[in-house]
Amino acid sequence: MEIEKGKTAKYLKEKRPVPKQVTEQLKYFTKIKKNILNALKEGDKTVPQLAEVLNLPKDEVLFQLMSLLKYGFVETGEIDDMDEFFYYKIKSNGKN
Amino acid sequence: MQEPKKILKYDVLVIGGGIAGGESAINLANLGYKVLLVEKELSIGGKMILLSKVFPTLDCAACITTPKVSEIARHPNITIFTSAEVTEITKKDEHQFEAIVLQKPRYVNVADCTGCQLCEQACPVNVTDEYQYGLVGRKAAYIPFSIASPRAAAIDIDNCTLCGACERACPTKCIDFTQTDEEYLVKVKSVVVATGFKLFDPLKIPRYGFDKCKNVITSMQMERELAPTRPFNTILRPGDGKMPDNIAYVLCTGSRDKSVGNPICSQICCMYSIKQAQLLMGALPMADITIYYLHIRAFGKGFNEFYAQAQDMGVEFVKGKVGKISEKENGNLILRYEDIEEGVVKEAEHDMVVLSVGVLPNQGIDEVFDNQKLQLDPFHFVNQSDILASPAKTSIEGVFVAGTASGPMDIPDSILSGGAASAETTSYLRRANQ
Repeated sequence: MEIEKGKTAKYLKEKRPVPKQVTEQLKYFTKIKKNILNALKEGDKTVPQLAEVLNLPKDEVLFQLMSLLKYGFVETGEIDDMDEFFYYKIKSNGKN
Repeated sequence: MQEPKKILKYDVLVIGGGIAGGESAINLANLGYKVLLVEKELSIGGKMILLSKVFPTLDCAACITTPKVSEIARHPNITIFTSAEVTEITKKDEHQFEAIVLQKPRYVNVADCTGCQLCEQACPVNVTDEYQYGLVGRKAAYIPFSIASPRAAAIDIDNCTLCGACERACPTKCIDFTQTDEEYLVKVKSVVVATGFKLFDPLKIPRYGFDKCKNVITSMQMERELAPTRPFNTILRPGDGKMPDNIAYVLCTGSRDKSVGNPICSQICCMYSIKQAQLLMGALPMADITIYYLHIRAFGKGFNEFYAQAQDMGVEFVKGKVGKISEKENGNLILRYEDIEEGVVKEAEHDMVVLSVGVLPNQGIDEVFDNQKLQLDPFHFVNQSDILASPAKTSIEGVFVAGTASGPMDIPDSILSGGAASAETTSYLRRANQ
């Protein structure tokens, strides 16, 4: 089989199917990313506020939110009046 | 067994690319010896490259490590294999060793990768970042961390959906999913074992609530929170993103504890906890830091002064043995402990707890030697057969030990040990030429 440089993923996919849990994991992240970004479009939110809106555990929201911060979708806003929780917002320069 | 494909020849095989192995490799290379450095991770630099600062000087760990790592990576006498493991070593004769090295696929041609991170941006996957100790996600196509050496992408094939987005984004077409395991037969004259240590897994002490209570973290997780390349925007509780203001340290987690099979002192936990406490007081000026300890072992140069400095800064030291950590509804933690000085059981509330986890041996290196016995000490570290006169010597003539492979030690001692191993290796190699 001729393998074209730059298109080798196809070659491995034929030899080794992608496990179901990997595709499920991708679906989950895509969904949670969309939900977090939609919630933040409505206004800046803290982790507990996001957890309440999304009905998810706070630690899970923090993990996913910090990933989105790392990937450049989200940025840090002001801290709340009690100096406890930061607000997070959609990054002003848009997409990654 | 399948025949190894390629035969390589070097003077010395150094197993482990942390600071001790790196120090040995660079010393030997500077003397003109050809060195093969084999590292199981994607980057050399060991655990030190992931630290925030070092004690007792509070120097930036990356500022010390990166020039060293760069020197190792660029040295003409050093060849580095990352994502590789030594699976077998046979001593054929004096000054003749044969090793089998298994090179695992990175799915990226490192020489062509520019570290542009376009593959990382294109990858749709999000999985736990092990280099941030699980605090944040990373992509399946990723550069392990920003100061990794080599600073090249890798594909986490177990979590990759093989969508091909990384390949389409790569400007140099360096991603290659056709890569497979490669075996090498490496002929060397001497071996340096610098396999480092692993950290105690706090899940082995369920009463400390690690994993169950989300605001109980390990010291290495706090180290990442304090590092400039931190996982969060600042120091936050992983349970809910609150900025903590009352942090407790539980020393001797998994050290000096027969019940978890590790009765010895890890030598570094007191000082790294004191270091982190000082850094936290700088990062969170309003925070209270309490350290629960059995004994503070500040034995090294400048250590006691460093301990006194933490006390002067307002870090509270409580001589107490923590028995149990439980979580309140608001995520705060109740520590039930024995106040050793007063002889009573007390409870205290903190909003975050750091478990100062101990140092354990990276086991398995003795099984690599097939016709010689690499002796281990009673705690499964590599035994130093002549600890006073020749500290790098092992039970096998021509095999030397460097750094924490021989027991818990701090960074300066690891570098000294790496230096000792290179000196003793040189002496052994010179004898071959006489």
